[in-house]
Amino acid sequence: MQLPVLLLALAAASAGAQPAVYVLDPAHSFVHFEVLHFGTSTSRGRFGPVSGAVTLDRVAGRGEVGLRIPTATVDTGLPVFNARLREADLLASAEYPEAFFVARNFRFEGQILADVRGEFTLRGVSQPLSLFARRFACRSDDGGEVCGGDFEGELLRSEFGATYGLPFVADRVRLVVQVEGRRR
Amino acid sequence: MNKLIVAAACAVVVTGVQADGGNYALDPTHTFVTFEVTHFGTSTNRARFDKKEGVVQFDRAARSGRVEITIDMASINSGVPPFDGHLRSKDILNVGEFPTAKFVGDKFSFSGDQVTAVAGTLTMMGKTHPVTLKANRFNCYLNPMFKREVCGGDFETVIQRSQWGVNYGLPTVAPDNVRLLVQVEAVKQ
Repeated sequence: MQLPVLLLALAAASAGAQPAVYVLDPAHSFVHFEVLHFGTSTSRGRFGPVSGAVTLDRVAGRGEVGLRIPTATVDTGLPVFNARLREADLLASAEYPEAFFVARNFRFEGQILADVRGEFTLRGVSQPLSLFARRFACRSDDGGEVCGGDFEGELLRSEFGATYGLPFVADRVRLVVQVEGRRR
Repeated sequence: MNKLIVAAACAVVVTGVQADGGNYALDPTHTFVTFEVTHFGTSTNRARFDKKEGVVQFDRAARSGRVEITIDMASINSGVPPFDGHLRSKDILNVGEFPTAKFVGDKFSFSGDQVTAVAGTLTMMGKTHPVTLKANRFNCYLNPMFKREVCGGDFETVIQRSQWGVNYGLPTVAPDNVRLLVQVEAVKQ
């Protein structure tokens, strides 16, 4: 194929790729966290399903996302831990039932999303948070297009005022985020 | 809250084996198996088994050990109840017929006094195959609540689920490779 024809084909293929809105799939959209316990083993928990929408313009390399994370859904597999996590010195779920991630700074490598930089709000405190894509893909099925991936980031919980158990349970918390969204 | 912590601590001690120096009781509040498997090549599904029990014999000086962990397969928890139901069904884990899985690890590898791997067998759905859990982290510490030594760490391995007959959705919905992440802590008895 000659170059001008190839370019024309690419242009045609991407003609449908204007900004598209993807609504998160509640069966595949969760925020997991990992935190080190007594410097020995990693305790894990899960929030979700998280809700929200992502706008992607894969050709222009832009996007934005707004996620709502219901903090009372925290699930570690231990009801006692879940209840402790919801208390005022950790998630403060009664006063702040939702955490939020809002980002408009998307970086693409080609048409693959590489990282998302924005702001995370927990316990009413907002701090910058970057999420790095470990995996990103789009696929199509009978219901249309689905895009999603795995994202990771880190925060210091003390910066949000969630201080119980320091330093036996570490300050550094790793976030592992699964998202899939179906095109609206 | 303190009452709850004490209750959890007592539960750990009570469920532990009564024995001499080298025996450790699994701390069920810091022992979990989580699996990760990709979904249509797009994102990673995670689920955790909430109920398990087991015993550990561990001799750091002799650099030896043995661990037995039994997993209640019906306790699977992905956060998506219909997915959990499907995982329990005959399509996938068939927990009605095979309610438990068991890992027996009897070959402990060390670097100095740190455990680096535990090799053994995983029995699931009536099939037994070798599995080696690699230690990403290992440590022993004096737990201030239990006033006892606790040893534990983070272990992982990748298994091919088809070896145990878990073939649903291969290879499009989910691949054969499943990553197992194991958090474990055990309290010296």
